[in-house]
Amino acid sequence: MTTNGEGAEMEARGPPSLHLSTRNGNFLGKHRLSAAISRLNQEIQYLQEELNELETMEPSSAACKEILLSTEGKPDAFLPVTPGPENAAWHRWFQRVRSPHSRKWWTHKGSSDIL
Amino acid sequence: MSVAELKERHIAATATVNSLRERLKQRRQLLLDTDVAAYAKSQGRSAISFSTTDLICCRTLQGHTGKVYSLDWTPERNRIVSASQDGRLIVWNALTSQKTHAIKLQCPWVMTCAFAPNGQSVACGGLDSACSIFNLNSQVDRDGNIPVSRILTGHKGYVYSCQYVPDQETRLITSSGDQTCVLWDVTTGQRISVFGGEFPSGHTADVLSVSINSSNSNMFVSGSCDMTARLWDTRIASRAVGTYHGHQGDVNTVKFFPDGQRFGTGSDDSTCRLYDMRTGHQLQVYSQQHEGDDNDVPIVTSIAFSISGRLLFAGYSSGDCYVWDTLMAEVVLNLGTFQNSHEARISCLGLSSDGSALCTGSWDKNLKIWAFGGHRKVI
Repeated sequence: MTTNGEGAEMEARGPPSLHLSTRNGNFLGKHRLSAAISRLNQEIQYLQEELNELETMEPSSAACKEILLSTEGKPDAFLPVTPGPENAAWHRWFQRVRSPHSRKWWTHKGSSDIL
Repeated sequence: MSVAELKERHIAATATVNSLRERLKQRRQLLLDTDVAAYAKSQGRSAISFSTTDLICCRTLQGHTGKVYSLDWTPERNRIVSASQDGRLIVWNALTSQKTHAIKLQCPWVMTCAFAPNGQSVACGGLDSACSIFNLNSQVDRDGNIPVSRILTGHKGYVYSCQYVPDQETRLITSSGDQTCVLWDVTTGQRISVFGGEFPSGHTADVLSVSINSSNSNMFVSGSCDMTARLWDTRIASRAVGTYHGHQGDVNTVKFFPDGQRFGTGSDDSTCRLYDMRTGHQLQVYSQQHEGDDNDVPIVTSIAFSISGRLLFAGYSSGDCYVWDTLMAEVVLNLGTFQNSHEARISCLGLSSDGSALCTGSWDKNLKIWAFGGHRKVI
């Protein structure tokens, strides 16, 4: 489906070689033109199918409602207010971590650089 | 039929296509009775409110000696693979900041990398027009390098993006400068399907990004320099399921929304957009007024949704990383203004699989891990 017509001309133009003179390539020119026309006809069919679909398509508000419902009720570690359950593993980024390659313990709450 | 007659037919068919597109555009406009922000406001929602110390950069992963171009998390939470202009892939344990693998690539011009679902392999691709697979458990060679286990060849242009199919270790999708996406069988190195190319509904310019629907891995969306995003069914390579217009510039990044029914895009036109997969409606534009002259408008390089979808993280060429409230279409935080933020373009970003951490990669050669460290209220 296409949503609006921007870029239509660019897509329907066909390959640049069609614009070359066909002094020594009339056969090639015909062949490429035919292929391009076939592709355009196929595109016309798809566009007409899409226009038909739009006849019975619901408006955007239906999808907006679904989005609202889908974002609420899911636990999200990045939200200051979130439905549960809270996963304890979310806190691992701020816990002391022992690096297996050194004996140092370090924590990163509020700091940015490592070691 | 003569060339002249064929040319006339071509002109007539082009005019028909253009007129149909215009009709479609107008009919669609009539169906846009609201956008997400207007609807959310009408339902009494208000923007998420963060305090300035809520999101914290809790790790800086240093080690690359060139710009970071791409990153990907493992499904099992803590490891990240990154690709850089320095011609290397590095595998990190993001929790400890340790580098577990450093892979020197034969072709240093790498643009994308991905972790296999089982975390045992990584894939990368770039200007060699191929996708290379490395098994992290392989024995290193004499020079201490992990040897490549397979090279996926067939693209006739740069590989800009790759992603493993989530529930299948052996399948991978790439997108390329040859205007196609390809589904590969990694074990045999064979192309299973080619999306676009010869067929009329394929992209008409370089394909920069892909995102596979984790709710239904038969579906994936691609973003292209032709300013569109396209939806594909891996079982039907002959035509795109849908083409989504609206952007005024290259679509650099695409990402499915967590519910698997919508997807987001980010573009050179400095906006992010949210599309409904099934109807094709453009549900929301995420756009901010920028200071400075028009020549300086930052491009959106990468996006990711928080696990509920309520937040949209977007990285920009300016080094900004806006946190958008997806429902209200407002920027609620800018990670780029923090004291310890990146010092150059943010080229890539991604959320850990449990949604507890965001990793950003930058042209400043670093990766950073961000997490919520404030007071959380659980309701």
